Amino acid sequence: MRRDELQTKILAILEDDFEFEHPGLDDNLRDEHGFDSIDAIELLGKIELMLGFSLSRAEKEKAMSIRTINDILDYIEKIQASHQQ
Amino acid sequence: MPRRVVITACSAITPIGYGKETIVNSLRQGKSGVKPLRDDGLLTDHIHSRVFGTVDYPIDYGFTRRYTKTMGPVAFYACRVAGDVLAQSGLDEKFITSGRLGVAFGSTHGSPTVQRNIYKTFFGNLKEEFSSIGAVDYLRSMVHTTAVNITRMFGITGRVIASSTACTTSSQAIGFGYEMVKYGMQDAMLCGGADEYDTTTVAVFDNLLACSVDFNDTPERTPRPFDSDRDGLVVGEGGGAVLLEEYEAAKKRGATILGEIIGFSCNNNGGDLILPNLDGITATLKLALDDAGIGPDAVDLISAHATATKMGDVIEAQAIDAVYGDRPLVTGLKSYMGHCMGTCGVIELTMLLYMMEQEFVAPTLNLDNVDPRCGMLNHVRELVEQRVEIAALENFAFGGVNTCLLIKNGRHLT
Repeated sequence: MRRDELQTKILAILEDDFEFEHPGLDDNLRDEHGFDSIDAIELLGKIELMLGFSLSRAEKEKAMSIRTINDILDYIEKIQASHQQ
Repeated sequence: MPRRVVITACSAITPIGYGKETIVNSLRQGKSGVKPLRDDGLLTDHIHSRVFGTVDYPIDYGFTRRYTKTMGPVAFYACRVAGDVLAQSGLDEKFITSGRLGVAFGSTHGSPTVQRNIYKTFFGNLKEEFSSIGAVDYLRSMVHTTAVNITRMFGITGRVIASSTACTTSSQAIGFGYEMVKYGMQDAMLCGGADEYDTTTVAVFDNLLACSVDFNDTPERTPRPFDSDRDGLVVGEGGGAVLLEEYEAAKKRGATILGEIIGFSCNNNGGDLILPNLDGITATLKLALDDAGIGPDAVDLISAHATATKMGDVIEAQAIDAVYGDRPLVTGLKSYMGHCMGTCGVIELTMLLYMMEQEFVAPTLNLDNVDPRCGMLNHVRELVEQRVEIAALENFAFGGVNTCLLIKNGRHLT
């Protein structure tokens, strides 16, 4: 999935399921949208469904350093690339 | 030195309404909240009892996802009534978050609705390779979900007691909260309970032949506490909360005092987990009087547990007779709404406080012909306009747990 497609889908998830209002790609997720560790785990579940494969525990743990939507997109691109190899 | 404990706010979501005006009107008009059992698409067709104490009116919660993400239906009830009592009390945020306010709040078994969704992942066709159990399902369904969603929503940092003893859940919560304040462990406690619509609870009592089945076509005619034609309990839903404070502090800040808790008892029958026990219940009623330091003649009104089971009502009547005789008025408030399980105690306390304030006693509904085995008591069969000074609130649970709270009218304390 291309980055622009990923961005559209992730923004839709954040707005529809996480009730984000006017999300910016470099907003601090915690400070500006109240996104916490529970939300991070929930989002990973939705990313798995979106990509169509399971993430390993090690892959999920790497997601805990995510701070912005751009970080989420970077993270998914790396995951996609590693699963395509 | 034990401290005096007063109630400075109360709120309840019940099958006969939400808020004082609606609940009082229903009690005064003899309006029942028992309705046909809602279809759950799972168990309903297999249950003989087709009646339920139903909350079927819209409630404007206004909670944002920040909070709702960890809440099952039971926590919606809990947080709504908790917010109500905090607002009513007038306590400021500094005190609420100081650690001097604790929470004692419970439910029968967390959120069965969420638990049912978890089970679907095991028995359904969901993709096993994905995280089909939501990360927050445990937080939404766990047995202390009501208590900690309240602490989270309102920033409460004091003690947490999450009682879960079926029908004595909220009366225990109130009693334990009372003891926390009485003995100086906390200066205030937010206490109560909630239980959501759940047919598994109905199925359990149905299997034990304890549910009402003869009035499926006329739900408002059941349950029938102390009546000769009673045929069992009716499960219900709802939530309720009270705010307990140390008397001197409440008085100093000019709080409205609705009532004073002057006694509490809790014991166990020490044996059978289901059958009512005369010795155990009698002891409970006496222990509460001892705790309050009053005699039975000081009590004007008894809010009986009175679930309308065939033996439970008889045993309770015998215990009341043994301790109080035929002087105090006796009413069974479950006749209006069924048995709201873990929340019954706090809902019945809220109704008692309303009746104390407005100087009336609601009669036991559907008490057309008193069972002779329960006939030795002073049953309230028509609405009585009377000021009540001290009331006893009795609740008994599966597991042999019994509680009794003694409440004094708070008007003279404000």
